[in-house]
Amino acid sequence: MNTFRLVILTPDKKLFDDQVIQLTARTTEGDVGILAGHIRYVAILKTGALTVKLENGNMKKAAIAGGVLKVSDDKTSVLVTAGEWAEEIDPDWAERSRQDAMAKIEAFQNEPDRLERANLKLQRALNRLQVSGRSTGQIIPPVKKKK
Amino acid sequence: MANLKDIKRRIHSVESTMQITKAMELVASSKLRKAKERAESVQPFFEATYKLMAEIVAEDIYFNSQFVRKRTEKGAVLLIVIAGDRGLAGGFNANIFRIAQTRIDEIKQTGGNPIVMPIGQKAVDYFENRNIKILKAYHHIAEHMNIYLAMDMAELILNTYQRHESLQSVELVFTNYVSPILQVAQKMEVIPLEELTVKNPRRCAVEYEPSPEAVFDKLVPRYVASLLYGAIVESFASEQASRRTAMENATDNATEMIDNLSLLYNRARQGAITQEITEIVGGASAQQ
Repeated sequence: MNTFRLVILTPDKKLFDDQVIQLTARTTEGDVGILAGHIRYVAILKTGALTVKLENGNMKKAAIAGGVLKVSDDKTSVLVTAGEWAEEIDPDWAERSRQDAMAKIEAFQNEPDRLERANLKLQRALNRLQVSGRSTGQIIPPVKKKK
Repeated sequence: MANLKDIKRRIHSVESTMQITKAMELVASSKLRKAKERAESVQPFFEATYKLMAEIVAEDIYFNSQFVRKRTEKGAVLLIVIAGDRGLAGGFNANIFRIAQTRIDEIKQTGGNPIVMPIGQKAVDYFENRNIKILKAYHHIAEHMNIYLAMDMAELILNTYQRHESLQSVELVFTNYVSPILQVAQKMEVIPLEELTVKNPRRCAVEYEPSPEAVFDKLVPRYVASLLYGAIVESFASEQASRRTAMENATDNATEMIDNLSLLYNRARQGAITQEITEIVGGASAQQ
């Protein structure tokens, strides 16, 4: 199998830098799979899961909180605001964060800015929970803003 | 001749001050090490974001984003000023305020309207005392800075920029950490992103989804956030380095003072003994 170099960067660390066979990510336009020899390509990533097929054939999954995917000739880079590998996620912490977000959504019904932020927090928490394998359900759609 | 007891008391006082400066020096050293690591870890992300933005701009000659366009009208200027939360760091805070104040005076002279976003307790105090318009103040965040907070700040800045056509530019005043003994306070332009250039812009077909503009506008908040994060962490490292140097000097000075005082004390003690002997001898010979 042909491989290509994948670099995943977050603002505080380099999450990944190695040869991989395949990368699957969720962009704003839909899911994409990247293989070696892909044309130059840039897309915006949504909060969701990122799956990597390693050289040895094993799969590795990460939860990411939005970012940009860039395929160039020599390497593929993923710039994400935050990202963790599935095995690094603490499901209890994610669950607490989910509950905290829910409480905030309740509390900030009349403050659109903070409600928006709480919604994003909820999405991140749900994404982490899902990637870590704690919840098997779908991502719950964000609570609608009160007009 | 100085009183023995007085000198002793002064030595004690200097000694206890030295203990404090010594402790502060050690604390600053350990904080500096951590801050330096954090400042270095943001570098690759920042560079990659910047490069990608520059590539988009270089690629498309018709590219036109509101964040790149220069606003010609003289209007308000937003200054983000990063200082420390505490003093006793040598010239660290003073250097920042000097640059910020020079820029504010300049803006006022050209008929502009300066607005500040102070980061750090000292900066907040400085601008509050001088009645300069504050967009939002942040304090006690540098030590435990995280990227989410930086994202929030970036969002606030960009929203303000988008909403107010009269906002001419956004500038950042921070301290650049060069080495443990050299930190330079400096000013840089954040928005508009005028000098967005890569060294060798390669014009090549890249597929952007959904569009180059959309990707660019998505990158801008990340760029600003990582820039802010980097500047705050770097300023914090500079503050610690500056404090360490200042406290090292203070400790050295205290050691020197103690040496001098000890000499004075010993001389005074010797003088007192000599005097006592002279008195005894004098008294004895008078009785003969």
